[in-house]
Amino acid sequence: MSLADFDAAARAAEYDREQPQDILQLALDHFDNLAISFSGAEDVVLVDMAVRIRPDVAVFSLDTGRLHPETYRFIEQIRERYNLPVELLSPDPAALEKLVRDKGLFSFYRDGHKECCGIRKVAPLRRKLATLDAWVTGQRKDQSPGTRAGVPVVEKDGAFSTPEHALFKFNPLSNWTSARVWQYIRENDVPFNELHGKGFISIGCEPCTRPVLPNQHEREGRWWWEDETLKECGLHAGNVKAVNQ
Amino acid sequence: MYITMVKKILADGSPCRKCADVKARLRRDGVENHINRVVTADERDPASEGLALARRHGVDLAPFFIVTGEDGRETVYTVYFRLLREVLQGRASAQEEIADIMDNNPDLDFL
Repeated sequence: MSLADFDAAARAAEYDREQPQDILQLALDHFDNLAISFSGAEDVVLVDMAVRIRPDVAVFSLDTGRLHPETYRFIEQIRERYNLPVELLSPDPAALEKLVRDKGLFSFYRDGHKECCGIRKVAPLRRKLATLDAWVTGQRKDQSPGTRAGVPVVEKDGAFSTPEHALFKFNPLSNWTSARVWQYIRENDVPFNELHGKGFISIGCEPCTRPVLPNQHEREGRWWWEDETLKECGLHAGNVKAVNQ
Repeated sequence: MYITMVKKILADGSPCRKCADVKARLRRDGVENHINRVVTADERDPASEGLALARRHGVDLAPFFIVTGEDGRETVYTVYFRLLREVLQGRASAQEEIADIMDNNPDLDFL
Protein backbone atom coordinates (compact mmCIF):
# COMPACT_ATOMS: atom_id res chain seq x y z
CA MET A 1 0.00 0.00 0.00
CA SER A 2 1.39 3.41 -0.89
CA LEU A 3 1.20 6.21 1.64
CA ALA A 4 -1.28 8.04 -0.56
CA ASP A 5 -3.68 5.12 -0.11
CA PHE A 6 -3.77 5.47 3.66
CA ASP A 7 -7.42 6.19 4.44
CA ALA A 8 -7.17 8.34 7.56
CA ALA A 9 -10.91 8.89 7.95
CA ALA A 10 -11.68 5.18 7.81
CA ARG A 11 -8.87 4.36 10.23
CA ALA A 12 -10.01 7.12 12.59
CA ALA A 13 -13.45 5.57 12.76
CA GLU A 14 -12.04 2.07 13.10
CA TYR A 15 -9.59 2.99 15.88
CA ASP A 16 -11.62 5.59 17.76
CA ARG A 17 -12.29 3.22 20.66
CA GLU A 18 -8.87 1.58 20.64
CA GLN A 19 -6.14 2.14 23.19
CA PRO A 20 -3.29 4.58 22.48
CA GLN A 21 -0.86 1.68 22.20
CA ASP A 22 -2.96 0.18 19.39
CA ILE A 23 -3.09 3.50 17.59
CA LEU A 24 0.67 3.85 17.91
CA GLN A 25 1.07 0.34 16.56
CA LEU A 26 -1.05 1.29 13.56
CA ALA A 27 1.08 4.38 13.01
CA LEU A 28 4.37 2.57 13.30
CA ASP A 29 3.21 -0.33 11.14
CA HIS A 30 2.27 2.00 8.30
CA PHE A 31 4.88 4.72 8.49
CA ASP A 32 8.65 4.37 8.71
CA ASN A 33 9.22 8.08 8.25
CA LEU A 34 7.35 9.12 11.38
CA ALA A 35 8.25 11.11 14.48
CA ILE A 36 6.71 11.91 17.84
CA SER A 37 6.31 15.55 18.80
CA PHE A 38 7.25 15.74 22.47
CA SER A 39 6.37 18.93 24.32
CA GLY A 40 8.22 18.18 27.52
CA ALA A 41 5.00 17.64 29.44
CA GLU A 42 2.65 14.70 30.03
CA ASP A 43 2.83 13.60 26.40
CA VAL A 44 5.90 11.72 27.62
CA VAL A 45 3.53 8.75 27.84
CA LEU A 46 3.65 8.55 24.03
CA VAL A 47 7.41 8.12 24.14
CA ASP A 48 7.09 5.45 26.82
CA MET A 49 4.51 3.56 24.77
CA ALA A 50 6.26 3.95 21.42
CA VAL A 51 9.69 2.70 22.50
CA ARG A 52 8.05 -0.59 23.49
CA ILE A 53 7.03 -0.98 19.83
CA ARG A 54 9.96 0.69 18.07
CA PRO A 55 12.89 1.27 20.46
CA ASP A 56 14.56 3.79 18.16
CA VAL A 57 11.43 5.77 17.36
CA ALA A 58 12.17 9.33 16.26
CA VAL A 59 11.25 12.04 18.76
CA PHE A 60 11.54 15.80 18.36
CA SER A 61 10.88 18.81 20.57
CA LEU A 62 10.50 22.47 19.77
CA ASP A 63 13.24 24.31 21.63
CA THR A 64 11.87 27.82 21.62
CA GLY A 65 14.77 29.11 23.68
CA ARG A 66 12.29 30.23 26.34
CA LEU A 67 11.42 26.95 28.05
CA HIS A 68 11.68 26.51 31.80
CA PRO A 69 14.96 25.09 33.12
CA GLU A 70 12.84 22.24 34.49
CA THR A 71 11.66 21.40 30.97
CA TYR A 72 15.20 21.33 29.58
CA ARG A 73 16.25 19.05 32.42
CA PHE A 74 13.24 16.83 31.71
CA ILE A 75 14.04 16.54 28.02
CA GLU A 76 17.56 15.51 28.95
CA GLN A 77 16.16 12.97 31.41
CA ILE A 78 14.05 11.46 28.61
CA ARG A 79 17.07 11.22 26.32
CA GLU A 80 18.89 9.22 28.95
CA ARG A 81 15.98 7.11 30.23
CA TYR A 82 14.93 5.90 26.79
CA ASN A 83 18.32 6.16 25.09
CA LEU A 84 16.78 8.32 22.38
CA PRO A 85 18.43 11.17 20.50
CA VAL A 86 15.59 13.63 21.03
CA GLU A 87 15.92 16.11 18.19
CA LEU A 88 15.63 19.73 19.35
CA LEU A 89 14.36 22.11 16.71
CA SER A 90 15.49 25.72 16.98
CA PRO A 91 13.97 28.87 15.50
CA ASP A 92 15.45 30.44 12.39
CA PRO A 93 18.15 32.74 13.80
CA ALA A 94 17.52 35.58 11.34
CA ALA A 95 13.78 35.67 11.99
CA LEU A 96 14.30 35.50 15.74
CA GLU A 97 16.98 38.17 15.78
CA LYS A 98 14.73 40.48 13.78
CA LEU A 99 11.80 39.93 16.15
CA VAL A 100 13.90 40.65 19.21
CA ARG A 101 15.65 43.60 17.59
CA ASP A 102 12.38 45.18 16.46
CA LYS A 103 10.13 44.33 19.38
CA GLY A 104 12.20 43.18 22.31
CA LEU A 105 12.07 40.01 24.36
CA PHE A 106 8.53 40.33 25.68
CA SER A 107 6.51 41.59 22.71
CA PHE A 108 3.88 38.89 23.31
CA TYR A 109 2.58 40.71 26.39
CA ARG A 110 1.84 43.73 24.20
CA ASP A 111 1.12 42.37 20.71
CA GLY A 112 -0.20 38.91 21.50
CA HIS A 113 1.70 35.65 21.43
CA LYS A 114 1.13 34.53 17.87
CA GLU A 115 4.02 36.34 16.20
CA CYS A 116 6.50 34.96 18.70
CA CYS A 117 4.97 31.45 18.61
CA GLY A 118 5.05 31.58 14.82
CA ILE A 119 8.79 32.15 14.80
CA ARG A 120 9.79 30.02 17.78
CA LYS A 121 7.41 27.08 17.32
CA VAL A 122 5.36 26.86 14.16
CA ALA A 123 8.03 27.71 11.58
CA PRO A 124 10.50 25.11 12.95
CA LEU A 125 7.64 22.62 13.21
CA ARG A 126 6.68 23.23 9.59
CA ARG A 127 10.28 22.80 8.49
CA LYS A 128 10.48 19.46 10.30
CA LEU A 129 7.10 18.17 9.14
CA ALA A 130 8.05 18.80 5.52
CA THR A 131 10.54 15.94 5.96
CA LEU A 132 8.06 13.44 7.46
CA ASP A 133 5.18 11.30 6.23
CA ALA A 134 3.47 11.16 9.61
CA TRP A 135 3.76 12.63 13.10
CA VAL A 136 2.35 11.82 16.49
CA THR A 137 1.01 14.39 18.94
CA GLY A 138 -0.29 14.29 22.50
CA GLN A 139 -3.45 16.25 21.69
CA ARG A 140 -6.45 15.24 23.76
CA LYS A 141 -10.09 16.20 23.51
CA ASP A 142 -10.27 17.21 27.16
CA GLN A 143 -7.51 19.81 26.77
CA SER A 144 -9.91 22.27 25.14
CA PRO A 145 -13.62 21.64 24.69
CA GLY A 146 -13.63 24.53 22.24
CA THR A 147 -10.85 23.61 19.87
CA ARG A 148 -9.94 19.99 20.52
CA ALA A 149 -13.34 18.39 21.06
CA GLY A 150 -13.22 16.88 17.59
CA VAL A 151 -9.62 15.65 17.54
CA PRO A 152 -9.65 12.28 15.73
CA VAL A 153 -7.15 9.56 16.58
CA VAL A 154 -5.70 9.92 13.09
CA GLU A 155 -6.22 12.48 10.35
CA LYS A 156 -4.68 13.84 7.22
CA ASP A 157 -2.91 16.94 8.46
CA GLY A 158 -4.85 19.87 7.03
CA ALA A 159 -2.37 22.46 8.24
CA PHE A 160 0.88 21.07 6.86
CA SER A 161 -0.03 18.79 3.97
CA THR A 162 0.64 20.28 0.56
CA PRO A 163 -0.59 19.29 -2.90
CA GLU A 164 2.78 17.58 -3.38
CA HIS A 165 3.19 16.04 0.08
CA ALA A 166 0.51 14.33 2.14
CA LEU A 167 1.20 14.32 5.87
CA PHE A 168 -0.70 12.22 8.40
CA LYS A 169 -1.17 13.09 12.05
CA PHE A 170 -1.83 10.59 14.81
CA ASN A 171 -3.37 11.68 18.10
CA PRO A 172 -3.32 8.45 20.13
CA LEU A 173 -4.29 10.16 23.40
CA SER A 174 -7.29 11.90 21.89
CA ASN A 175 -9.83 9.98 23.94
CA TRP A 176 -7.83 9.75 27.14
CA THR A 177 -8.46 12.18 29.97
CA SER A 178 -5.75 13.91 31.93
CA ALA A 179 -6.57 11.57 34.83
CA ARG A 180 -6.03 8.51 32.61
CA VAL A 181 -2.70 9.87 31.39
CA TRP A 182 -1.53 10.36 34.97
CA GLN A 183 -2.72 6.91 35.91
CA TYR A 184 -0.47 5.55 33.15
CA ILE A 185 2.44 7.68 34.36
CA ARG A 186 2.12 6.35 37.91
CA GLU A 187 1.50 2.73 36.96
CA ASN A 188 4.48 2.63 34.62
CA ASP A 189 6.84 4.79 36.65
CA VAL A 190 7.20 7.22 33.76
CA PRO A 191 9.33 10.29 34.51
CA PHE A 192 7.50 13.61 34.45
CA ASN A 193 8.35 17.28 34.30
CA GLU A 194 8.92 18.58 37.84
CA LEU A 195 6.78 21.63 36.97
CA HIS A 196 3.74 19.40 37.31
CA GLY A 197 4.56 19.14 40.99
CA LYS A 198 4.49 22.94 41.22
CA GLY A 199 0.94 23.41 39.96
CA PHE A 200 1.59 23.56 36.23
CA ILE A 201 -0.67 21.50 34.00
CA SER A 202 -0.21 22.81 30.46
CA ILE A 203 3.47 23.62 29.98
CA GLY A 204 4.84 25.95 27.35
CA CYS A 205 7.40 28.75 27.39
CA GLU A 206 8.39 30.21 30.75
CA PRO A 207 7.03 33.75 30.22
CA CYS A 208 3.72 32.44 28.86
CA THR A 209 2.92 29.65 31.32
CA ARG A 210 1.78 29.82 34.92
CA PRO A 211 0.45 27.35 37.45
CA VAL A 212 -3.30 27.08 37.83
CA LEU A 213 -5.44 26.84 40.91
CA PRO A 214 -7.57 23.82 41.80
CA ASN A 215 -10.46 23.44 39.34
CA GLN A 216 -9.06 26.00 36.94
CA HIS A 217 -8.84 24.68 33.40
CA GLU A 218 -5.31 23.99 32.22
CA ARG A 219 -5.69 26.52 29.41
CA GLU A 220 -6.04 29.28 31.99
CA GLY A 221 -2.35 28.85 32.62
CA ARG A 222 -1.42 29.97 29.11
CA TRP A 223 -1.52 33.50 27.64
CA TRP A 224 -3.84 34.61 30.44
CA TRP A 225 -3.44 38.29 29.56
CA GLU A 226 -4.96 37.96 26.10
CA ASP A 227 -8.53 38.98 25.35
CA GLU A 228 -10.66 36.09 24.15
CA THR A 229 -12.81 38.52 22.16
CA LEU A 230 -9.89 39.06 19.78
CA LYS A 231 -10.53 35.56 18.47
CA GLU A 232 -13.29 36.91 16.32
CA CYS A 233 -12.99 35.08 13.01
CA GLY A 234 -14.90 31.97 13.99
CA LEU A 235 -18.15 31.33 12.19
CA HIS A 236 -19.65 30.18 15.44
CA ALA A 237 -21.54 26.94 15.60
CA GLY A 238 -24.64 28.77 16.79
CA ASN A 239 -24.73 30.74 13.58
CA VAL A 240 -23.50 28.05 11.26
CA LYS A 241 -26.09 25.56 12.51
CA ALA A 242 -28.97 28.00 12.90
CA VAL A 243 -30.72 27.09 9.68
CA ASN A 244 -32.69 23.86 9.44
CA GLN A 245 -33.32 23.78 13.19
CA MET B 1 -13.02 30.07 -12.99
CA TYR B 2 -15.17 32.05 -10.58
CA ILE B 3 -14.01 33.06 -7.10
CA THR B 4 -16.35 33.95 -4.27
CA MET B 5 -14.95 35.47 -1.10
CA VAL B 6 -16.94 35.07 2.12
CA LYS B 7 -16.15 37.64 4.78
CA LYS B 8 -17.60 38.06 8.22
CA ILE B 9 -19.49 40.94 9.79
CA LEU B 10 -19.45 40.99 13.57
CA ALA B 11 -22.52 41.45 15.75
CA ASP B 12 -21.71 45.13 16.15
CA GLY B 13 -21.64 45.62 12.37
CA SER B 14 -17.86 45.89 12.03
CA PRO B 15 -15.79 43.65 9.74
CA CYS B 16 -13.66 40.93 11.34
CA ARG B 17 -9.99 41.83 11.68
CA LYS B 18 -8.72 38.86 9.67
CA CYS B 19 -11.15 39.55 6.82
CA ALA B 20 -9.92 43.14 6.59
CA ASP B 21 -6.34 41.89 6.68
CA VAL B 22 -6.94 39.45 3.84
CA LYS B 23 -8.71 42.10 1.77
CA ALA B 24 -5.66 44.32 2.18
CA ARG B 25 -3.37 41.49 1.13
CA LEU B 26 -5.48 40.79 -1.95
CA ARG B 27 -4.99 44.42 -2.94
CA ARG B 28 -1.29 44.44 -2.11
CA ASP B 29 -0.70 41.20 -4.01
CA GLY B 30 -2.45 42.66 -7.06
CA VAL B 31 -5.05 39.90 -7.26
CA GLU B 32 -8.15 41.64 -5.90
CA ASN B 33 -9.59 41.82 -9.39
CA HIS B 34 -9.63 38.00 -9.52
CA ILE B 35 -12.30 37.93 -6.81
CA ASN B 36 -15.56 37.86 -8.72
CA ARG B 37 -17.92 38.26 -5.80
CA VAL B 38 -17.80 39.08 -2.09
CA VAL B 39 -20.60 37.92 0.20
CA THR B 40 -20.99 38.40 3.93
CA ALA B 41 -21.49 36.02 6.79
CA ASP B 42 -23.36 38.39 9.07
CA GLU B 43 -23.49 37.47 12.75
CA ARG B 44 -26.67 39.50 13.05
CA ASP B 45 -28.41 37.43 10.38
CA PRO B 46 -28.20 33.62 10.56
CA ALA B 47 -29.82 33.45 7.12
CA SER B 48 -27.15 35.62 5.49
CA GLU B 49 -25.67 34.15 2.31
CA GLY B 50 -22.18 33.86 3.76
CA LEU B 51 -23.36 31.81 6.73
CA ALA B 52 -25.40 29.63 4.38
CA LEU B 53 -22.26 28.98 2.30
CA ALA B 54 -20.30 28.23 5.48
CA ARG B 55 -22.90 25.66 6.47
CA ARG B 56 -22.95 24.13 3.02
CA HIS B 57 -19.19 23.73 2.91
CA GLY B 58 -18.65 22.93 6.58
CA VAL B 59 -16.42 25.94 7.14
CA ASP B 60 -16.14 27.53 10.57
CA LEU B 61 -13.59 30.30 10.04
CA ALA B 62 -13.70 33.50 8.02
CA PRO B 63 -12.69 34.61 5.53
CA PHE B 64 -12.85 31.76 3.07
CA PHE B 65 -12.97 31.41 -0.69
CA ILE B 66 -15.01 29.20 -3.02
CA VAL B 67 -13.37 28.59 -6.38
CA THR B 68 -15.73 27.27 -9.04
CA GLY B 69 -13.98 25.65 -11.98
CA GLU B 70 -15.11 25.55 -15.60
CA ASP B 71 -16.63 22.13 -14.91
CA GLY B 72 -18.68 23.53 -12.04
CA ARG B 73 -16.63 21.82 -9.37
CA GLU B 74 -16.19 23.87 -6.22
CA THR B 75 -13.02 23.98 -4.16
CA VAL B 76 -12.95 25.75 -0.81
CA TYR B 77 -9.88 27.59 0.43
CA THR B 78 -9.82 28.63 4.07
CA VAL B 79 -6.16 29.66 4.03
CA TYR B 80 -5.34 32.72 1.95
CA PHE B 81 -1.78 31.82 1.02
CA ARG B 82 -2.99 28.53 -0.46
CA LEU B 83 -5.50 30.34 -2.67
CA LEU B 84 -2.75 32.71 -3.69
CA ARG B 85 -0.30 29.94 -4.50
CA GLU B 86 -2.58 27.28 -5.97
CA VAL B 87 -5.10 29.40 -7.82
CA LEU B 88 -3.71 32.88 -8.36
CA GLN B 89 -0.08 31.89 -8.97
CA GLY B 90 1.17 34.26 -6.30
CA ARG B 91 3.36 33.72 -3.29
CA ALA B 92 3.04 34.93 0.30
CA SER B 93 6.02 35.50 2.56
CA ALA B 94 7.01 32.67 4.89
CA GLN B 95 5.92 34.81 7.85
CA GLU B 96 2.48 35.39 6.32
CA GLU B 97 2.08 31.70 5.57
CA ILE B 98 2.85 30.83 9.18
CA ALA B 99 0.36 33.45 10.41
CA ASP B 100 -2.32 32.04 8.09
CA ILE B 101 -1.67 28.51 9.32
CA MET B 102 -1.95 29.62 12.94
CA ASP B 103 -5.15 31.56 12.33
CA ASN B 104 -6.73 28.46 10.84
CA ASN B 105 -5.37 26.06 13.46
CA PRO B 106 -5.86 27.75 16.81
CA ASP B 107 -4.34 24.84 18.71
CA LEU B 108 -0.92 24.76 17.09
CA ASP B 109 0.67 27.16 19.53
CA PHE B 110 -0.14 24.79 22.38
CA LEU B 111 2.34 22.24 21.09
